[in-house]
Amino acid sequence: MTSTSDQVARQPRQRPAQRVSLVPYLYLLPHAILFLLFVVYPVGYGLYVSFHRWDLLQETRPFVGVEYYRNLFDPSTPQSQFFWQTLKNTLFFTVVSVPLLVISSLGLAVLLHRPIFGRAFFRAVFFLPGILTVSVMGILWRWMFDNQIGLVNAVITQFFHRQPIPFLSTEWLAWIPIVVGTVWWTIGFNMTLYLAALGNISESLYEAASLDGATAWQQFRGITLPLLTPQTLFVVVTTALASLQLYGQSLVITNGGPTRTTQSVIQYITEEGFSNNQAASATAMAFVFGVIMLIFTAAQFRIMARDVQGGN
Amino acid sequence: MALAAPNLNRHGQSRSRRLPRDIPRFVVLCILAILFLAPVYWMISTSLKPEADTIAQPVQWIPAHPTLSNYQEVLNSPDGDILRWTWNSLYVAALFTVLHLIICVLTAYPLARMRFPGRNGWFWFILSSLMIPGIVTLVPTYLMMIQFNWINSYNSLIWPGIPGVFGVFLLRQFFAGIPRELEEAAHLDGANSWQVLWNVILPLAVPALVTLGVFAFMGSWNNFLWPSFVVTDPEKMTLPVGITTFSQRYVTDYGKLMASTALAAVPVLIAYLVAQRYLVAGLATSGMKE
Repeated sequence: MTSTSDQVARQPRQRPAQRVSLVPYLYLLPHAILFLLFVVYPVGYGLYVSFHRWDLLQETRPFVGVEYYRNLFDPSTPQSQFFWQTLKNTLFFTVVSVPLLVISSLGLAVLLHRPIFGRAFFRAVFFLPGILTVSVMGILWRWMFDNQIGLVNAVITQFFHRQPIPFLSTEWLAWIPIVVGTVWWTIGFNMTLYLAALGNISESLYEAASLDGATAWQQFRGITLPLLTPQTLFVVVTTALASLQLYGQSLVITNGGPTRTTQSVIQYITEEGFSNNQAASATAMAFVFGVIMLIFTAAQFRIMARDVQGGN
Repeated sequence: MALAAPNLNRHGQSRSRRLPRDIPRFVVLCILAILFLAPVYWMISTSLKPEADTIAQPVQWIPAHPTLSNYQEVLNSPDGDILRWTWNSLYVAALFTVLHLIICVLTAYPLARMRFPGRNGWFWFILSSLMIPGIVTLVPTYLMMIQFNWINSYNSLIWPGIPGVFGVFLLRQFFAGIPRELEEAAHLDGANSWQVLWNVILPLAVPALVTLGVFAFMGSWNNFLWPSFVVTDPEKMTLPVGITTFSQRYVTDYGKLMASTALAAVPVLIAYLVAQRYLVAGLATSGMKE
């Protein structure tokens, strides 16, 4: 957009008499040092580690090439078995939770967008769980779904007169506390994004539509939903990214159990790296998982890149 | 708030006519609010019960023998010090926020307001690091922390996150939107770039700085995965990590567990009440300019 004024401004500087100023580089220096040390270097170092047999207690670290990557694609190794199993768990969680998290936060935002008695109170109630740390949230929901005397089972036994359901120790059912807890925990964040977007939709569109006799549902389908598409895209991608990085919720609520059904891939990578002391194997897994994440991150990056161009 | 204004105009006029139609919506919201508050009620209710009552059958909806002893015992527990963890979290998050803001301001300023060879290249290079998922650098950074002798040190909780790029991006976008005339006027008065940054740009950028500050503080405060591996000394633990060691110890004593989670929630609640204006506004503007 400013390309012509750029050139005008640049011309004097291209005269040989004018030296390039060091000032901007001095400003950039502190960040650049830390960035190279803590962002760029670890990526290269990680690649290096993943090609060696890496035992913290051993002095020698022999080069093994792509052995740890090959292990992941060799079904007979436990690494391959658990990596793909926990990756499948994580994808399952993502596929179940993303639609829930997007639809419920949009629904809440629509309910709260127009003035209503106690709106500020409701907004605070739905937003507040999000400020809790994941461990507090996890401990709370583990207790809510306790096999015997959690609140959920108390309601089931006392109001519905059924046997308590052992959510935490039943395969697949153990996902329920994790998903419900995650919705409770993160709904307010997306709701706030949607509320801001709803505020930007011109009221005249709705007025014109209601003059034409459109029902509330038709207005929602015809006006609100299409105009929210950019936000929905953003929310879907960021929520999917967050869901793929599932860690704390399942760690605290079920500790990955029963029998690894709810173990997330990140929990398995940390188990391999820190509990089993297999830094190289864990790093190789992280890179493979990183490539999968990259696809989602690239989508988010593209959405953000529109802003960069807009601001320049 | 800006986003409420147009609605008030429209509905303010017809409020009385709309009121009956609002009732179902209000009822739905009330039911949802009760569901959302139920875990919090259950936490507080459990924390006030003596141990025997937490597992009583049938369940006590209201504590029959309310007591504060769980809170007393948790605060005086030899197994871990909630106040100490809270202090560690505060200290780490505050230091992180200040350092992160300084680094981001220094980087965003030339990227937004100066012309120099390599500017766009460097900007896109650091921005592309947003593509790298955090898990990729987890183990190598941990190995670096061992070499630096930073295990069980606040350094490992603070420094690796300082060169975050999202903050640079956010501030650069904001700085770029400040009118150039202001800066030129200052330059004509003989101000150098540092004085321009300090006297012209930063005062105008306070909303962006506060937004980024709140994000940075919350991010550090809530960080769980990384601190749980680099800090194993209970003295150096942050609150989210410390509280999980409690939960492993008191796995069946839900009275104490709920008292400790309630205590862990108090600082964020206070912070929220203080910062809510910025928090919601910041959330609403971050990357959402449509």
